[in-house]
Amino acid sequence: MIHPAGDEILERLWYAKEEGRTIASIAELPLNGDTAQAADALIASHQIRCGKTVELLPEGEERARGIVRRHRLSEILFAQVLEVDPHDAEQSACEFEHMLTERVVDRVCTFLGHPPSCPHGKTIPQGSCCRVYSRTVEPLITRLVDLPLGTTGCVVFIAPRSVQRLNRLAAFGVVPGSEVRLIERLPSVVLACGQTSIAVEDEIGREIYVRPMA
Amino acid sequence: MSQLASSCHRPADLPGAEPRLLLIGNPNVGKSLLFGCLTNRYVTVSNYPGTTVEITSARATIAGQTRLVIDTPGTNGLIPQSDDERVARDILLSSPGADVMQVGDMSNIRRTLLLSLQIAEHGVPFTLCLNMSDEARERDAEVDPAALAAVVGVPVVATSALRRWNLEHLKRDAVRPERARISVVYPAAIETAVLSIVAELAVDPHLATRGVALSVLAGDETLKPFLPAASLDRLDAIRGEAQSQLSQPMSWLIVTARLSAVDRILGNASMKQSLPRNNVREWLGAMTMHPVWGWPFLLAVLYIAWLFVGKFGAGIVVDFVQTKIFQEHLNVWTIQLIDLVARFPHHHVIANGILAPAYSGAVHLTIGQKVAQFIHDLLVGPYGVVTMAMTYAIAIVLPVVITFFTFFGILEDSGYLPRLAVMLNRLFRRMGLNGKAVLPMVLGLGCDTMATLTTRILETKKEMIIVTLLLALGVPCSAQLGVIMAMLGPLGIGLASVWVGVTLGTIFLVGWLASKLVRGKAGDFILEIPPVRTPKLSNILIKVLARTEWYLKEAVPLFVVGTLLLYVLDYANLLTKLQRLLAPIVVGGLGLPAQASNAFLIGFLRRDYGAAGLYAMQKAGALTPVQTVVALTVITLFIPCIANFLVMLKERGTKTGLAISGFILVYSFGIGWVMNLSFHLAGMS
Repeated sequence: MIHPAGDEILERLWYAKEEGRTIASIAELPLNGDTAQAADALIASHQIRCGKTVELLPEGEERARGIVRRHRLSEILFAQVLEVDPHDAEQSACEFEHMLTERVVDRVCTFLGHPPSCPHGKTIPQGSCCRVYSRTVEPLITRLVDLPLGTTGCVVFIAPRSVQRLNRLAAFGVVPGSEVRLIERLPSVVLACGQTSIAVEDEIGREIYVRPMA
Repeated sequence: MSQLASSCHRPADLPGAEPRLLLIGNPNVGKSLLFGCLTNRYVTVSNYPGTTVEITSARATIAGQTRLVIDTPGTNGLIPQSDDERVARDILLSSPGADVMQVGDMSNIRRTLLLSLQIAEHGVPFTLCLNMSDEARERDAEVDPAALAAVVGVPVVATSALRRWNLEHLKRDAVRPERARISVVYPAAIETAVLSIVAELAVDPHLATRGVALSVLAGDETLKPFLPAASLDRLDAIRGEAQSQLSQPMSWLIVTARLSAVDRILGNASMKQSLPRNNVREWLGAMTMHPVWGWPFLLAVLYIAWLFVGKFGAGIVVDFVQTKIFQEHLNVWTIQLIDLVARFPHHHVIANGILAPAYSGAVHLTIGQKVAQFIHDLLVGPYGVVTMAMTYAIAIVLPVVITFFTFFGILEDSGYLPRLAVMLNRLFRRMGLNGKAVLPMVLGLGCDTMATLTTRILETKKEMIIVTLLLALGVPCSAQLGVIMAMLGPLGIGLASVWVGVTLGTIFLVGWLASKLVRGKAGDFILEIPPVRTPKLSNILIKVLARTEWYLKEAVPLFVVGTLLLYVLDYANLLTKLQRLLAPIVVGGLGLPAQASNAFLIGFLRRDYGAAGLYAMQKAGALTPVQTVVALTVITLFIPCIANFLVMLKERGTKTGLAISGFILVYSFGIGWVMNLSFHLAGMS
């Protein structure tokens, strides 16, 4: 069940802990609405404890960690992949943090290449997927134009403005599953698919997402 | 460019009764070369997609049987994305019962089979020719024809049209096409809809195919003329019904299903190809598109072009042919010969010890002598067919045409032109175009008329209109370019760069303005880049020969007509009146001698002829350097020639064609006037 107000409290407490601050009482948190009610619920379910300061209990901490992870991964997804402007990215991330399931988050995390930090440079808490891929250097999926020159990637998906673009690329054999090699980025994007080299609009180069191959 | 001279047909114009052999295939796989091999007829062959935009046909005996062999523009699929692709699809649909030969690039087997599947879905028996097998071998991308034939179920022949290898085998199989065994399984909703559409179209067995049904489902609007009007609503309903059951666009689902079918076929025939190997040619190909090195390379190409065409062709060769061959010998002999035949009292002027066409002393002539004078002047007078038309056409323009087409042929066959498109895409974006428009624009340097036809490779009306306009306005064709280069030489770098600046400036400015004014938008820049190939001398020579022949057939008669026109006007004393009439524009506006009107008059026929007239004036010292630049700029921006004008009307419609022509006329004189005024204000004239 979603408790936005409760989620917000947990998130704030995580941020405070991350920055080495302490929160003396719930009232200190710049929140509104039914905060008090939500706080009571969190206390009752042993997620936080109000002693001298407000503290995250293990269960609450685990939940907070999930919320922050979802928030920061969403920020990357919106800001860097979908190129939404920063303000909208932040807004949408605030909504996404409440609703993505763990499986979806792990997929997003994998898609983004298990990034270690958000666009603002804050650490993204690792999920189970990150622990499997202990090395988190290369993103799993990148835009075609971001491939190193001369390297090959397997097309994962294409997100074009128009269906006609999809069809024309497909006629050259560029569809999900095809291997493409980036030959040139400037002055125009040139890619090779099989034995065919094609020059495409820069925009199209940014719409083709590939998994880099060794 | 030879298509102009040879037979260009619309599908409807092709002779109907004869059995046909249709060549169909992806762009740049060598269909035209193969067509030439099968029919012994030459059509232009180049190393870039879009060389053939019209249908060319010729009768030939293939394995003992007579066929009308038809060459079609290259196409990536049977759902057309541009006008030239549409031409190819239309001819396939309107040739029931024809033998179809699909020509493919062996190195590009995946794309080849993607088209094979679509031909198969149209229910057409065909033969598959895997051309360029030599190149595939070189690139380690060989395919076993027998293994492929076993899977696909049609005859498969590996060939190399360039090396004339295995063509006899191909001819034998060309007349024995088979129905393919390959098929694609589409999502259930699409399969159901295909059955409904086939049932709806059942009255016409040629149309009631899976292929047509799938094109309808993919939303192919260009198919409408073939479909019974009464069925259109029903087809739309079937399509809407199918789409509502699917989460992705049907066109996309269809194409991905086809591609995975291709991969299955390749998997079965174990013919997965590796990615191309790196080698010198690939390195060179990458260099020409490099963000840094591409530019010096482009400059080097332009410089070599200038040396070869401008210095060598328009300078040394023209000088030699014009002075040594024509003025000092041929013209003198002709004048002497005519003087013997057509007798009347006169003395020719002797200039620098050479007999010149001008003469004096022809007074008090009898009727008979007047007739003799008329014939004399018609052939060797100042406006004589030999002394003017032939001298201009053969001595001044022909050497340039030959050197230009030699250089251009090397560029075409090496595969540099599409790479130039990559370099210039951003610049062309500013003009409402994309890099693909570089191809017709550069072709225009060869012949604007042919280039106007090539605009069919562009996707949107807007692009076609802008390119047609820019070609007619600012791109001098080879014949004119040579004369221009010869005239710019003596002017010095300063005035020469005025001409370059005004011409390039005009292209960009008018292009930019047109991009704002013409409605619509530019299509996507998606252009196939062919591999760098070593040009083959024989292909270049054949191409130069064909284009030169075309020039001689196309241009020389117009030169003669223009000369006759001038002669008649002169004979009837109308020329001076016309010159007086044009004086406010030519003398007042442009600041040129009245005689320059002649050049503009014949410029209406062909602007290279007009330019040649100005060249002769410059050589005779009748134009100052400043006047030369002004006159040259105006004639550069003129309408290229009557042929180009007619093609413009045909391709763009009468209204647009006339609007473009009107604009060009006003603009070219306007810019000349502005230049003259500026020179005047700067105190240079």
